[in-house]
Amino acid sequence: MATVEYRKVGKSFGSVEVLKDLSLEIEDGAFVVLLGASGCGKTTLLRMTAGLETVTAGEVVIDGRVVNDMHPRDRDIAMVFQNYALYPTMKVRDNIGFSLEVAKKSKAEIARKVEEAARVLNLTEYLDRKPAELSGGQRQRVAMGRAMVRDAKVFLFDEPLSNLDAKLRAHMRVEIRQLHDRLGATTIYVTHDQIEAMTMADKIVLMKGGKIIQEGSPDDLYDRPNSRFVAEFIGSPQINLLDGRIEAEEGAVRFRARHLVLDLPQAYAAHAGKAVACGIRPNDVTLDPDGAITGTLQIAEKTGADVQFHLDVEGTEFVAVAPRSAYRHGGERMSFAIDPEKLHVFDEASGERISV
Amino acid sequence: MVVRSRSSRLLRTFAGWAVVALFAFPLYYWLTVAFKDGNEIFNWPPKVFSFTPTLKNFEEVFGISLGFGFGEQREVLPGGGNWRMGPRLWDSIVIAVLSTFLAVTIATLASYALSRMNFRGRHHFVSWVLSTRMMPPVAVAIPVFFIYKDLKLLDTYTGVILIHALMNLPLAVLLMKSFFDDIPREIDESAMVDGASRWLIFRRIVLPMVKGGIAATAVLCFIFSWTEFLFVLTLTQTGLKTVPVVSSTFVTSTGTAWGNMAALGAAAMIPAFIFILLVQKHLVRGLTLGSVKQ
Repeated sequence: MATVEYRKVGKSFGSVEVLKDLSLEIEDGAFVVLLGASGCGKTTLLRMTAGLETVTAGEVVIDGRVVNDMHPRDRDIAMVFQNYALYPTMKVRDNIGFSLEVAKKSKAEIARKVEEAARVLNLTEYLDRKPAELSGGQRQRVAMGRAMVRDAKVFLFDEPLSNLDAKLRAHMRVEIRQLHDRLGATTIYVTHDQIEAMTMADKIVLMKGGKIIQEGSPDDLYDRPNSRFVAEFIGSPQINLLDGRIEAEEGAVRFRARHLVLDLPQAYAAHAGKAVACGIRPNDVTLDPDGAITGTLQIAEKTGADVQFHLDVEGTEFVAVAPRSAYRHGGERMSFAIDPEKLHVFDEASGERISV
Repeated sequence: MVVRSRSSRLLRTFAGWAVVALFAFPLYYWLTVAFKDGNEIFNWPPKVFSFTPTLKNFEEVFGISLGFGFGEQREVLPGGGNWRMGPRLWDSIVIAVLSTFLAVTIATLASYALSRMNFRGRHHFVSWVLSTRMMPPVAVAIPVFFIYKDLKLLDTYTGVILIHALMNLPLAVLLMKSFFDDIPREIDESAMVDGASRWLIFRRIVLPMVKGGIAATAVLCFIFSWTEFLFVLTLTQTGLKTVPVVSSTFVTSTGTAWGNMAALGAAAMIPAFIFILLVQKHLVRGLTLGSVKQ
């Protein structure tokens, strides 16, 4: 177990700057998810941690030691690759035990650890098969088993679930998190899937263009996104954003987008006149005939327990989630109410959150 | 599954056999010449199936008696051709096997480095290596002759093995590099993170995955060396000769000994055939199957 720290880390491939001046501290035993769209530099950061990419600026520190020039094999890390990267000519048993064999552990110890890992991962009956004879989910588990037996200081996961089907992915999310809780090792997990990030992370680091946009607990990012970008990235269905203006009149502070008027907390009075985007999470609204948000229902999607209403509100698509019992057909006018405290207000020009 | 009519299936089968026959016939005819007596070779119309087989040509070529009338143990044919080709066959085998081994070993190591390691000029290296094959070998033969003379490599196994390996290297490197390039880098990286050294990764992980590529490269190198004519002709005198060069000695001032030439050619096919057969079972595709999700 170890802490991981990035001190003003930068990475360039030729003239292309992938990471810029990035600083981040990861506590001992934390499960940190690096989240971002493809090309944001998250995988590069992970690979620099593993020692598979050189560091062009700043320092990568593992457990208090600068590891910039340290070979991957000396860093005491375990990594699960997106495409698993199993050794195709070796049996599952030898795949999992390879690192122990390299470390010249005794045969008995290797066998014990491999079997223990196989038991935890439900791979016992497949130990004598080759990777080609396994399903995608089983291969993924072999890749995890290979990392598990290491007792490494830091576990690195590079989008390990992106090749699995939805059901298996949900199952493996739980398994990976349970594994982390059992081993207690510091884990850095890269994904572009915000659901994975929300469900697994102690801390999410949201990246864009080689920079950290926001870091914090899943709740922090969901409840207090620091920018329009974060608000749009986190949460499913996606947050609704309405463009308008803050108005203060007769002692009341309101958000106005053409005919739509929403009450805002008094604290926004200082920002009166500002052009803003108002964010409303689909799950934060309640069906209310007297509600301020009124629109024409375009389509209603049943998702099981809930129904998602897609409305046309002031010419903008607006999604609202309500219990299944509220289901109705397209074409109707519907109204929803929202608690002013749950509104997210972003500066129209900069996209930054207007905090009050 | 495409359903085909009976007649179209028959037509396909027939066409298949016709093509096979077209390619196999010259080989078959060559073999019949090896088993024909001198006069029968020149019969017109040629006797394709109905001839009296004899091992006389083989007796003559290898200087042995199998009871087909070869008695005198002559060293030289009346027109200057050689008898006793057994040792020449051995020369061919030694040179082809060792030069193949040398070329494949160097090419495998070199192409792994070219495929995986970062060093200055890496990208130009391959084209530079290839460029050495772009000039006609005959342009190299005379300079090599003088170099060999100084190095006392003329007329030696070492000399011929070296030049054959050198001639094979560029293509072997190029071929092997493409096999290494096909292996996802993540496999190396994964092993690196697992604590393995570069050499261990090469030996334990990557090498078993390119077995098929090594086999294919070895076949090509072997065939080149087995049939190479020019360098053996210029770089050897009496110490050793390979089959292609001694075959030409059957073309003498008093005529061409077709039967002997065919017998030697037929005999020469056997070691090459055995080598390819041994290697062929490694020529399997899909060795990377199951390693990574594609």
